[in-house]
Amino acid sequence: MTRELFPAQEIGSLMKPRWQILAQHGDPLDEKALGEFRRANDRTHFADGAAGTPELLAGRSRELGAEAVRDLGALFALRLFENAGLARVYDGEARRIEMYEYPIRQMRGFQFQGHVRSFDHKYYLKAAVTDEVHLERPYHVEEFDFVRRHARAEPKLPITGPYTLADWSYNEHYLARQPGWKGPRARRTAQREFVVDLAKRAIRPTLAALIEHGCRVIQIDEPAAGTHPDEADLVVEGFNAATEGLDAEFSMHICYSEYRDLLPALLEAKRCRQWAWEFANRDRDGRDGYEVLKALAEYGDTREVGLGVVDVHRDEVEPPELVADRIRRAAKYLGDPARLWVNPDCGLRTRSIDVATRKLESTVHGAALARAEFQNPRA
Amino acid sequence: MQVRIGLTGPFPRSEALVAATRDLDRGRATAESVEELFARTESEVVALEQRLGFDAVTGGYLRWPDLFRPFAETWEGFTVGPLTRWFETNTFYRQPILHAPPVRVAGAIAARLPPSILAAPERAAVILPGPYTFAGLLENRSGETEEALVHRLGRLLAEETKELAARGVTTFQFTEPLLVDRPPERSLAEAVVTAYRSIHAAAGGAATLVWTYGADANLAFPLLDRLPVSAVGVDLAETDWESIPAFPERRGLGLGIVDPRTTLVEEAGDVLRIVRGLKARRKISELWLGPGGSLDLLPWEPATRKLHVLPAARQALARDDRGGS
Repeated sequence: MTRELFPAQEIGSLMKPRWQILAQHGDPLDEKALGEFRRANDRTHFADGAAGTPELLAGRSRELGAEAVRDLGALFALRLFENAGLARVYDGEARRIEMYEYPIRQMRGFQFQGHVRSFDHKYYLKAAVTDEVHLERPYHVEEFDFVRRHARAEPKLPITGPYTLADWSYNEHYLARQPGWKGPRARRTAQREFVVDLAKRAIRPTLAALIEHGCRVIQIDEPAAGTHPDEADLVVEGFNAATEGLDAEFSMHICYSEYRDLLPALLEAKRCRQWAWEFANRDRDGRDGYEVLKALAEYGDTREVGLGVVDVHRDEVEPPELVADRIRRAAKYLGDPARLWVNPDCGLRTRSIDVATRKLESTVHGAALARAEFQNPRA
Repeated sequence: MQVRIGLTGPFPRSEALVAATRDLDRGRATAESVEELFARTESEVVALEQRLGFDAVTGGYLRWPDLFRPFAETWEGFTVGPLTRWFETNTFYRQPILHAPPVRVAGAIAARLPPSILAAPERAAVILPGPYTFAGLLENRSGETEEALVHRLGRLLAEETKELAARGVTTFQFTEPLLVDRPPERSLAEAVVTAYRSIHAAAGGAATLVWTYGADANLAFPLLDRLPVSAVGVDLAETDWESIPAFPERRGLGLGIVDPRTTLVEEAGDVLRIVRGLKARRKISELWLGPGGSLDLLPWEPATRKLHVLPAARQALARDDRGGS
């Protein structure tokens, strides 16, 4: 299929609107939430004719039920993405609260151990693998079905990858199988077994079920990949095991990492068609954040790149002209503009809906400006 | 062989403290009620340390947001910077930004130490950042070279040590993961040695310990062996113990035998085999056993469970020394 140059795509979660949070708890919407709901609907008509809208507006959230509210949340995000002009969309992860605990709870072999401090008074719940990994049932499938039924653009599903799930867990079971003192060699062997087991026993069956339900574009999120650059080969082994024998368009999302440190090991990810990386965050203060793309060219890698063109940690909205400049530079470094998709660096969940919307619109407008300057060599 | 055991970094917050501090952020708890819980939980940590027979107690450093924050917030020349990943972990610290040569503020760090441990300083271990790690992980806008900064921080930490030693503290640990993650070379290595000379001189008779973790210490041993301190500690989950080279007999060796990156409980028998292997090559007069890294990479309950290997290993080593099985 021939696409226009620089199509835009979603990359991760959106902030949940206030009305969704209140209604999920069964609380009636206050004036502020009602106003936000109405303004969003005026803009995208996401709730027109949708089940539950009358109850929600009438203050009967409890009667509506949390799942119906999440349906509305998913429709809200889908239409927001589509309205901004994205070619690939998802539901803004409207049904998910995070990317670790939910997948782990769909598996046996894990025990949650308690909270670990991430920084200051921020914590995350962490599990230990205490037995072999078994998938209870494939997950994200109902969520995808809903998106497939309602999306007007092409759906793209994000899922946490095996390496990240393993890295964010304590490895007890696989480490215990190593004889004697658990030094560096034993830890690495045990981690490899854990990653591959997660990939084969949990992620691959889930991906297979999603594909069976019509999912064609899947983003495997590996935010932990940059934490241990010397384990890039494990990231790849997990990716390859998870996608073995499956037919879909896979991408790998990694952010806030020194990508050069992960190369060339990462390039062995066989079925990865697109690298979706963060760049805009590092493209400031006189630094060219896109220069790292030269490394892909140096290694002769010809995959697509999902180009982060807006920073998700700042409220300042990048003007379309800056987005277009970033695309131009990236195209120059890659040597092929047809391999570029554009997207935010990462999920926009830390930005307000208003800022997120404007950043997405700027992404699309910037892509249009850049497109006008290029001849599509594959057209 | 004398065996000393104890914590080598912060202890995790209890689930009750996790809930309370979250509530504080959300405006659902008062600062007073959370402070009261901090004090109660510190007492629990001290009680745990005493129950396990630790040679010195720390109180767990539950209030410290990270290793540098008390310094960045109280010493002159600093501001508190952006969230930055703490080595190869999923935890973060706020990077201190140094705008001018730092100036120590007397009494400021003592005020941030768990009050319960300063009530009995002769049994207290004070854990401070090492000068090399401190200098290497801050953002240096002061105009000083890294070497000069290591020198200066060494002198300031020496003053800190002197102040606390005067209050009766008998054990000082300097946390230096950067020494093994990025071993210094040439003039920077010399600056590190000089910094520890200042610290050692200021400590008087108190024990000084340099604790490394997070990477294989074997490459750093040529420098670690030169540091004028009571003992250097290495992380045995990351360090191939069979490759640990010669170390001077006058210096103690620290072994990080509790791995905070797994909930799997270590076995005293494995520790015994390692120490026997080391002793077959070198005489060890003093052995320090503790966690390999920050125990707050674990939740409270598994951290507590895992610490029991420390007294068990000490007991096994004592039996072995006496010729028992």
